[in-house]
Amino acid sequence: MAVVRKNFTAMTSAEKTAFANALRQFKTTSANGRNYNWYIDQHITFFARTTDNISHAHQSPSFFPWHREYLRLLELDLQTVSGNPGIFIPYWDWTVSTLPFTSDFLGSVTNGSVSSGNFSPAWGWSLYRSSIATSFLQRRVGQNATRPTASQVSTVQSRTVYDQSPWNSTVSNSYRNRNEIELHNRVHNYVGGHMGTREAPNDPCFWLHHCNIDRLWWLWQTVRGLDTYQPRTGTTSGVVDNNETMRPFGAGRSPLAVHDISALNYSYA
Amino acid sequence: MTDMKRRDVLRYSAAGAVTAATAVVGIQAVAGPGSAVGGEKAAAADPRDFEETYKGKKIKGKHNAGGKDELHINNKKLALTVISTLFIPEDGSEPYVANAYISAVNHYDPVEIDNDKNKEGLKKLAKKVVDMLGDLELSDEAAKAHTH
Ligand SMILES: [Cu+2]
Repeated sequence: MAVVRKNFTAMTSAEKTAFANALRQFKTTSANGRNYNWYIDQHITFFARTTDNISHAHQSPSFFPWHREYLRLLELDLQTVSGNPGIFIPYWDWTVSTLPFTSDFLGSVTNGSVSSGNFSPAWGWSLYRSSIATSFLQRRVGQNATRPTASQVSTVQSRTVYDQSPWNSTVSNSYRNRNEIELHNRVHNYVGGHMGTREAPNDPCFWLHHCNIDRLWWLWQTVRGLDTYQPRTGTTSGVVDNNETMRPFGAGRSPLAVHDISALNYSYA
Repeated sequence: MTDMKRRDVLRYSAAGAVTAATAVVGIQAVAGPGSAVGGEKAAAADPRDFEETYKGKKIKGKHNAGGKDELHINNKKLALTVISTLFIPEDGSEPYVANAYISAVNHYDPVEIDNDKNKEGLKKLAKKVVDMLGDLELSDEAAKAHTH
């Protein structure tokens, strides 16, 4: 079913509860051959350069399309596991000061820990492959970085070059790299705790954060052209070309296959 | 981060200034900064070799020439990954590319470390990790390496 991804601040309390409960259910129940921890495994595996010598998920041009497919799959799985085809991933616009870390939604934080209520162990949230020895989800909001401002976002959004050689974390004139470092990395560091780690999808705000990143890429595409991924078809080694399959997703799940979100059953409000 | 970045930038430019001054005095670049001070003492004082207590935790760094630097927090290993990445100073000065370390814990927050101006980056990284851990410790998962 086609869904409209809303700003979390526009969600009804019933929608917030349904989203949180679907995530919890997916921790213990598989859907479509996957479960929640599968997503954490993929994030860890594909952050690194894999045996094909390609960096699929980060520090490479496929950063945007890889996460678009990753979120689309999760949205589908949450709909399946909950039996609610209306479940959608909400986005978190971090340029406004309202945070999703509340007891009725992604869980409130006490001294850096989500120790009771939503997303606490007692509520039914367990951590997986945590590099920090704890059973409590960690957040150290604002300790290590500040949130991007609206003007910083618009400066990044005004870049015209999608990406260019050497296609990694060193490129300066690159919408992808500037977004990845100045907006994406920064918000991971702003939340801190598990969001700053390799196993960041342990924190459900990962999905809201990446949903906003995906929304910004979509807004950029609507200005610059939908099929503007670089590198185009060809033989660029070490990176995913426009028509090359992104691992671990199925055959044909290329940047080209996900360039138009209207073909992916969601839109942004 | 805002403050830290600002400090980084200051230190970065300060180090640059020292290098320039040294060049004017005429010391060969190949001699390196250590030999100017004199042999073993300078070698033993590599800022990447340290063992001290920070906020109640033992932080231990070890520099391996030609190999991977090591870091332990309360005897738990933190695997380090070297990347080359763009740094974009928040004060609006020019972005620059530098070598940096990431780990499972500072995965999106590379810390500048190199053989030249940023040898003390390893201790800075150790302190950053302690600040992030608070009362907690690293788990065995933190010791698992991966490549970039
Ligand atoms: Cu991310």
